[in-house]
Amino acid sequence: MPFREDQLAQRVVKPKTNLGPGFWPITALIVVVSAVMVYLVETSPLPIGLVQAGGPADSVDALFRFLGATGAVIFNVVTIYTIYFAIVFRAPKGAPPNSIGVQIHDAPVLEFWWTAIPTILVVILSIYSVKIWADLQNTAGDVLTVEAIGYQFGFQFRYPKLTTPTSELHLPVGTPTTIHVTSRSTDVIHGFWIPEFRQKADMVPGLVNTIRITPTRIGTYRIICSEFCGVAHGGMKGTLIVQSQQDFDKWFAQQGGQHAGGGGGIPLSAGTVSAGQALFGQKCSVCHSVGPFSQKIVGPGLGQIFNDPAHPKLVDGAAPTPQDAAKIIHDGYSGDIGTMPSAQVNGLSNPDIANLVAYLASLSKK
Amino acid sequence: MATLAPGVKTGPYHAVLDHIHPEPTSFIRKYIFSIDHKIIGIQYMITAGLFFIIAGLLAEIIRTQLLSPTGAVVSAATFNQIYSMHGTTMVWFVVIPLLTGAFGNFVMPLQIGARDVAFPWLNLVSYWIFPVAGVLLFSSFLIGAPDAGWTEYPPISLQGPPGTSMWCIAVFLVGISSTLTGINFTVTILKMRAPGMTFTRMPLFVWAQFATSPMLLIATTALNGALAALFLERQFGIPFYNPAHGGSPVLWQHMFWFYSHPAVYIMILPAFGFISEILSTFSRKPVFGYKMIAFSTVAIALLSFAVWAHHMFTSGMVPWLQLPFMIITMFIAIPTGIKIFSWMATLWGGSIRWTTAMLFATGFLITFTFGGLTGFFLAAVPADYHEHGSYFVVAHLHYVLFGGSMMGLFAAIYYWFPKMCGRMMSEKLGLWHFWLVFIGFNGTFIPLHWLGLLGMPRRVAIYDPQYQFWNVVASSFSYIMTFAILLMFINILVSLRSGKKSGPNPWGARTLEWMISSPPPYYNFKKIPAVLATPYDFGNPLPYIGLDAAPGATEATPTHTSHPVPTY
Amino acid sequence: MAVSVAKQGYELGHGHDEHDHEEVIYQETRDMRLLGFVLFLCSDVVLFSSFIFAYIYLRTTVAPTWPPIMDGHQLPRLDTAFAAVNSVVLFGSGVTMHYAMEGWKHGNKGRFNLFMLFTIILGSGFLGGQAYEYAHAQIGGWSGSIFGASFFTLTGMHGFHVFVGVVYLAVLWWQTSRTNLYDTHRYFGLTAGTLYWHFVDVIWVALFFLFYLW
Ligand code: HEA
Ligand code: HEA
Ligand code: HEC
Ligand code: CUA
Ligand SMILES: [Cu+2]
Repeated sequence: MPFREDQLAQRVVKPKTNLGPGFWPITALIVVVSAVMVYLVETSPLPIGLVQAGGPADSVDALFRFLGATGAVIFNVVTIYTIYFAIVFRAPKGAPPNSIGVQIHDAPVLEFWWTAIPTILVVILSIYSVKIWADLQNTAGDVLTVEAIGYQFGFQFRYPKLTTPTSELHLPVGTPTTIHVTSRSTDVIHGFWIPEFRQKADMVPGLVNTIRITPTRIGTYRIICSEFCGVAHGGMKGTLIVQSQQDFDKWFAQQGGQHAGGGGGIPLSAGTVSAGQALFGQKCSVCHSVGPFSQKIVGPGLGQIFNDPAHPKLVDGAAPTPQDAAKIIHDGYSGDIGTMPSAQVNGLSNPDIANLVAYLASLSKK
Repeated sequence: MATLAPGVKTGPYHAVLDHIHPEPTSFIRKYIFSIDHKIIGIQYMITAGLFFIIAGLLAEIIRTQLLSPTGAVVSAATFNQIYSMHGTTMVWFVVIPLLTGAFGNFVMPLQIGARDVAFPWLNLVSYWIFPVAGVLLFSSFLIGAPDAGWTEYPPISLQGPPGTSMWCIAVFLVGISSTLTGINFTVTILKMRAPGMTFTRMPLFVWAQFATSPMLLIATTALNGALAALFLERQFGIPFYNPAHGGSPVLWQHMFWFYSHPAVYIMILPAFGFISEILSTFSRKPVFGYKMIAFSTVAIALLSFAVWAHHMFTSGMVPWLQLPFMIITMFIAIPTGIKIFSWMATLWGGSIRWTTAMLFATGFLITFTFGGLTGFFLAAVPADYHEHGSYFVVAHLHYVLFGGSMMGLFAAIYYWFPKMCGRMMSEKLGLWHFWLVFIGFNGTFIPLHWLGLLGMPRRVAIYDPQYQFWNVVASSFSYIMTFAILLMFINILVSLRSGKKSGPNPWGARTLEWMISSPPPYYNFKKIPAVLATPYDFGNPLPYIGLDAAPGATEATPTHTSHPVPTY
Repeated sequence: MAVSVAKQGYELGHGHDEHDHEEVIYQETRDMRLLGFVLFLCSDVVLFSSFIFAYIYLRTTVAPTWPPIMDGHQLPRLDTAFAAVNSVVLFGSGVTMHYAMEGWKHGNKGRFNLFMLFTIILGSGFLGGQAYEYAHAQIGGWSGSIFGASFFTLTGMHGFHVFVGVVYLAVLWWQTSRTNLYDTHRYFGLTAGTLYWHFVDVIWVALFFLFYLW
């Protein structure tokens, strides 16, 4: 007694062509609601309700607006049709218990479109995101370079020409700034979030991440730790003060700016190679190899730092003397390659630096 | 005993399925160390249900703490332990066990017409590891529970309280349990389907399990590697993650998310399966676009292995690597969208019965779509620079996990409860449950998006006063949600004792589990039925032959039977 | 498109030969177990892979030099020559395992016993070699550096697998001589043992390449 699918198929109820009462008005409603929402999102100056204190907040907000508008339309389509179908196609009171719905299995054309349209949307959205992403990668920075270091539980900042770190981040308005963020090498991961700039990077020990911003709005902003870092994570906050160039210069001078670093005064003669080697293994080898300059990890190779014909000067442009290397190790340095943390961040005392320099010198002799 | 022809090679039918083992008689073998997939499923359900209550109450402590900017109830240290345990429990001890262990175990073998899973003893082992792991996890409160979030990023987790190592062991153990379940289910689905149940005739919940099981066994093992390394580093100082000893904290993030991103789809695909079953049954229509839904399930499962780094956009990886991860993440919206639209089309033209299960399934469409869309916001790298680590992420994850997985689970509970217990749940209480959860849930989590965008970081015990208003709103609604969920538990307990008897097929559904009595007999099917067509054609007679107790069906005369009629 | 009952071979009440039926049940049970076992091996591969990934990641993106610097001096490389010899021992055991199985399948119990013995001896020999290597590796111990961490964790895990394998083979061997669980036709346990043993070999190929040749 064979039982055949094709015989069964003939009993399938032919689909009603009718889309349901009020389908088109509902569609119109979706269009109108969506249009209004898109309009509101696109014209809102602050789609996320937070002031923009400078670039790249505007590009990120533009992306946000676009995502918000698209998302609103998609959400309207799904929600309103779902609710509408839910109401119109409910089994009427008193419908026979065996009443059934329209027996359709698929509709290839429809399915094609609802695959194709989201695909197109996704492609557009991803192209747009990539574009904004590329903008962020190419944002100007570098006029001012600052290093931000997280620790449990606070932030500190180092300016190229300042000996001591500061506890507030001051930036002159309109200056393209690069912020290298990291954490102390024995600390934990923190986050560096400046919501008014829509920027964030994790502060990972042994790793330097980069943010580029151009402040455009004078004011005081929050720096928030966005990565869980211990009991006081919730209270880990910093201050970013954007001020006019004059105010900034004044502040900078107060901090003892322009005085070249303290590396000059370190007595180097007492350094021992073996102690330096041990320290190097602990603290420096994360970022530096003992190969030639070109063998970079995070920073350049240091094996031939004092006699590398391919690299006659140190990264700060000084001649490769032990004193100048000690200065870089003491003060840290931010250049094209990245950010070299200061002795304070690396936890080095002056004798440590002397040992390290002795070790580096011993490498260069070989 | 008349049995099926042996040596049949055309279908997936296997003679071994024919064995009926004698039912155990001792209480212990029957209910405690049972190898019956149905009992194990229910054991999973009860255990995970208890964990859900604990984790949910922990969530209410979180919400209560956040009523005040300075922290209303507990110290910051305790708070950290609470949300870490909340996340850990919800993910590994509630949602994954409920979706795979509980419903996978109870429903899937019935739906494929099998008498049990492939390796019943292994199933017993899988289950019993799970409560042991749970007890370990919670006893870590005694020695200082883990406090660095469910993600336990080193180096902070290397400094965490002693309980963090216990956490490693507990999660490792549930991992093993999941892996074993994954092996078991994969073999079951490949080898034990009833004759004639080809891949295109499998119910969609079976498809979902079929896509999920290999993920369980691959992704979970990778996490176990990461956990083992974390444990070794914490206990014996073996350097993997600590930068101070030459390791890399980012390594953990890669290993963790390589598991945990697939895991979020492990937590949604079975729920997708529920939705397909329930929408079809109560619309009394075939699932629209069956093949596309099945195909997109597999597509999501595959894609999910190539997107993990979207959790790490700010962690410091090579910048250009962000792009492939971003784009693949975005592409997951397409198969997901196909499902959403197919489900909407399943509603269209239906003859819809508004039961509680159906309400939850429909509510799922709306809340999950919202959560998916916020996921899309996170996938766009530049936007994620702002959103990462903020309450926006918390809002996204609850929209997909609560609005998706939990809504799906609620629907499934109302739908399969009669099958499991032979009694109906109260629809009236169910309605209250649905509406209060729907309102409470949205009211709780909508404001969190806003808070995140305005600059409130997640995982904080104290916060800036300007955020208080929306936090109070969120907390207030969360109490409504708690009350609603309490109603569900009451409903379950009351219905167990005094619910209306359900009969075999109260909803008039058509998949195989409804063709046998409720609760199903020990051996499930007296004879293994043969499957002749897809289950969802309401216009057609039931496509099964060989059923002994099909409601209204006479054996071997399938053309007799019209489609089943609901009896609830 | 018509899928009829007859095509499915689904016939109700069709009688059959008891022996045939048992055979089918055996085969199907075996196939299921085999699939399950292979899936287990897959998950084991992933476990190894996660540590291999960790090793590659640490070596390529984190370590400044390789072998890394510990306490200020660069660690030496591992002794490739010794490991090569030890690898030959392990691969040799794969070969003898193969011959043992061939012997079994052809009902040649003597050959099976002989080659099983070889396999177990070679496997144990490999473990001995590894113990020797552990005692003599100058890479600063398990917790000394990321090198030690990756090397000892991965090879230790592998060694543990070999150890389990040796025990497993010994149990199988005992079973073949003292019980009649297996015959020339039904020997799933042996198949699983062989698969496992070859699996352990293959993992070693990867480890050998990663630690000694790279
Ligand atoms: C069930 C669990 C689940 C699910 C299904 C998802 C689904 C998705 N998730 Fe989510 N996610 C989590 C659970 C889940 N997530 C969790 C727990 C976290 C936080 C972990 C932690 O840090 O603690 C997280 C975090 C998270 C992040 C990291 C945020 C950060 O920390 O910075 C990202 C980033 O890309 C992301 C993206 C996505 C995307 C794109 C989807 C997509 O799959 C969504 C696809 C669905 C849709 C888009 C809607 C339906 C589609 C349509 C209607 C079609 C049309 C749509 C378009 C054209 C856009 N998620
Ligand atoms: C499926 C997963 C899931 C579910 C269902 C939930 C449910 C809830 N979650 Fe959770 N949550 C996570 C997964 C989940 N969460 C994860 C992964 C995190 C991240 C953790 C991290 O950062 O590491 C998180 C984090 C998280 C936070 C952020 C913490 C922080 O970053 O500081 C918050 C805050 O509001 C929160 C709240 C809630 C609330 C109010 C619920 C409510 O929906 C809960 C409702 C349930 C109940 C209230 C239980 C009901 C029980 C009863 C009524 C008792 C009945 C009693 C008897 C029968 C005896 N969750
Ligand atoms: C977080 C990574 C990091 C750590 C840790 C680190 N450095 Fe550096 N270092 C750098 C970077 C990046 C540069 C290059 C700066 C530039 O030019 O942009 C650098 C540059 C240098 C230079 C100048 C090299 C030259 O050729 O001019 C010296 C010297 C140096 N580091 C020494 C050390 C010593 C000694 C230690 C250990 C105490 C150390 N560094 C630790 C990242 C690091
Ligand atoms: Cu620092 Cu959180
Ligand atoms: Cu993800």
